[in-house]
Amino acid sequence: MSQTLSGNSLSPEALAELRHDLRTPLNHVIGYAEMLLEDATGADAAADRTQLEVTLAAAREALELINATLGTTKAAGRDDVDRLYEALRRPRGRIVDAASALLGRPAATRDGSFTADVRKILSAAERLVPTQTPTPSPEPAPSASDRRAEPAAAPAGELQARILVVDDGAENREVLRRRLERSGHAVQTAEHGRQALELLGARPFDLVLLDVLMPELDGFAVLEAIKGNPALRDIPVIMISALDEMPSIVRCIEHGAEDFLHKPFDPVLLRARINASLEKKRLRDQEKEYLLQVNLVIDAATAVETGRYRQGELREVAGRDDELGRLARVFDGMVSQVKAREDRLRERVRDLREEIEQARRDSKEFGIPVDGGNLKAGDRFAQRYEIVAVLGRGGMGTVYRARDLELEEEVAIKTLRPEFLSDATLLLRFKDEIKLARRLSDPNIVRTHDFGEWSGVCFLTMEYVEGMTVRELLDTRSRLSMSSTLAIATQLAHSLAVAHEHGVIHRDIKPQNLLLDPDGVLKVMDFGISRLAERASTITEAGLVIGTPAYMPPEQLMAEQVDARSDLYAAGVVLYECLTGQPPFQGSTAISLIAKLLSEEPRPVVERNPEVSPALSALVMQLLAKKPEARVQTASELAERLRELA
Amino acid sequence: MAKILLVEDNEMNRDMLSRRLQRKGYEVAMAVDGRQGVEMARGGGYDLILMDMSLPEIDGWEATRQLRAAPETVAVPIIGLTAHAMAGDREKALEAGCNDYDTKPVELPRLLSKIEALLGGGA
Repeated sequence: MSQTLSGNSLSPEALAELRHDLRTPLNHVIGYAEMLLEDATGADAAADRTQLEVTLAAAREALELINATLGTTKAAGRDDVDRLYEALRRPRGRIVDAASALLGRPAATRDGSFTADVRKILSAAERLVPTQTPTPSPEPAPSASDRRAEPAAAPAGELQARILVVDDGAENREVLRRRLERSGHAVQTAEHGRQALELLGARPFDLVLLDVLMPELDGFAVLEAIKGNPALRDIPVIMISALDEMPSIVRCIEHGAEDFLHKPFDPVLLRARINASLEKKRLRDQEKEYLLQVNLVIDAATAVETGRYRQGELREVAGRDDELGRLARVFDGMVSQVKAREDRLRERVRDLREEIEQARRDSKEFGIPVDGGNLKAGDRFAQRYEIVAVLGRGGMGTVYRARDLELEEEVAIKTLRPEFLSDATLLLRFKDEIKLARRLSDPNIVRTHDFGEWSGVCFLTMEYVEGMTVRELLDTRSRLSMSSTLAIATQLAHSLAVAHEHGVIHRDIKPQNLLLDPDGVLKVMDFGISRLAERASTITEAGLVIGTPAYMPPEQLMAEQVDARSDLYAAGVVLYECLTGQPPFQGSTAISLIAKLLSEEPRPVVERNPEVSPALSALVMQLLAKKPEARVQTASELAERLRELA
Repeated sequence: MAKILLVEDNEMNRDMLSRRLQRKGYEVAMAVDGRQGVEMARGGGYDLILMDMSLPEIDGWEATRQLRAAPETVAVPIIGLTAHAMAGDREKALEAGCNDYDTKPVELPRLLSKIEALLGGGA
């Protein structure tokens, strides 16, 4: 469509159309700016007001310029129109600057539609003047009734896009601009390749119409630059050329052009091809969006692992009406279930803390005062530790609270009676176990630091936990609530699962070995030193140690194969005692106790305490099965079963 | 307050004009083409109609004629809005049955004074 102007003056219809085309966006600018100004009250909005006033002043100035050139009674020629465009550029620039400044400011004091309205101002300003100074098309302006066929708004179903037209011919540019704008597209124009690349670098476009034959940087070169730039590569480019030769077309396609159009174009074909390209781009964008959302789901999964997932994070993906949306919904649902469980657990720990608090208040004398023994408060030990207090005495030795003077931290020191370590084989095995235990690092396990020997005394250093043992808790509270017991059970199952995974069996789970810090965090101690406990129980017969086998499973008492399930039995006894206030079996002597333990069935928990749920009672009873194979088989299974109870 | 039916196909025009009229206290209903405009107007309840003359489906000229032919809408004041201030548009609009007419882009104070004049006189 290569028409030329036949004269300098424009028809009244053409002028009326041009006036309308220019005044409509200005009117939008003014309308939105006035509304925003009405809303921009208060001290916070002072800066917004200034920018809006600049916008309004610029728009009114532009309106006056238009009226001066294109007033109804004026006759105007193309030179006048060119001058008008040139003159409008300045107020338009002020509008764009002010609107951009408004968008760039933090939106704390504005309501939700603020940004949307400022964007409307920007988009209206963009429609005001083409980037270049084109001459209005000499095409006859359609009459009012003709406009029905080509309404200003795009017909339904047609995509509206930001299109860059690159052509060195002013008339071609203008014809394309007007046609595309009628279809509802926002159009920018460039008169040479360099300008096109500048514009592409400065703002987003959905489509480029690119003339092949241009001076300096020709269409091929621009196309190559676009396709070689990762940020621009995905913008479809339709090449336009008067050349109708195969090699030229082939070259365009090879360089990544989306389509090719011959000049002069048929308007229907132009529209169809542009829509096809935009549709393809839309599908590609959709695909990219899909992949992006897949990544969001993957990120969310990672966030769950690290505990940073926030519920509802996948809301956008979950809103999709497809498989991915379903996956996101299921995922979010699962996470919220887990979270609900965690919340319940937290509640239980709170209950447990209250019980601990209560026990502290009830217990007049908590902890054992320093009362002699080998070491007393203030003593230096192993040249590195200062004894603070004696924490307890047991069959194997004494536990002290001490200060590690090198690391400036509190530790617990457990000294071991020399008779346990006189056997060299036993000592070696013990050291191996300590090595294993040192690998255990978990919030529910008391850390073992070191094993040492000093002046003939063997000792272990461990993490010092301020708190009380479950033994002490039970002694003051007689029995615990279901909620507190579940808090202990869950943490105990977790610590055993961790230890068992590392190949460490505790062998001596009992209330004395379960520490509770003031926050209700359970910490299992003495992992790795239980072999000594077994030794200790042998020594019992010699009368040296008074211990209780109440927590030992039959296979351990019978010196048969001990495995992870033995710890689960002991855990069962602990839980039984928590819920009922008593271990399942009691005897006045060790022998009578062992006899009962091997031959009698314990009374179900629920019979002794009807407040306990039948399910929890049954689970505890299953842990107490005499045959290991009849028990819950692993600590993780126990943890899982406890979760199901939650 | 008075209820105005705005018949306008351009989304930005519709958005802006309806909001500005609402701010002035009018209740505004909107139709996006002539056919919908006629249907809504016949449903009744409007004190005034702002009719864009270049509309898809049925244009504003035809819609106005239909509204003037129907007994339920014959008395509702209509202000026609045309894109071009061409000589003769005014006569054409009045001939089609508009009570008044204005040019687009709309200048709000001028349009408001026309609306108020019609509502004041017709009420």
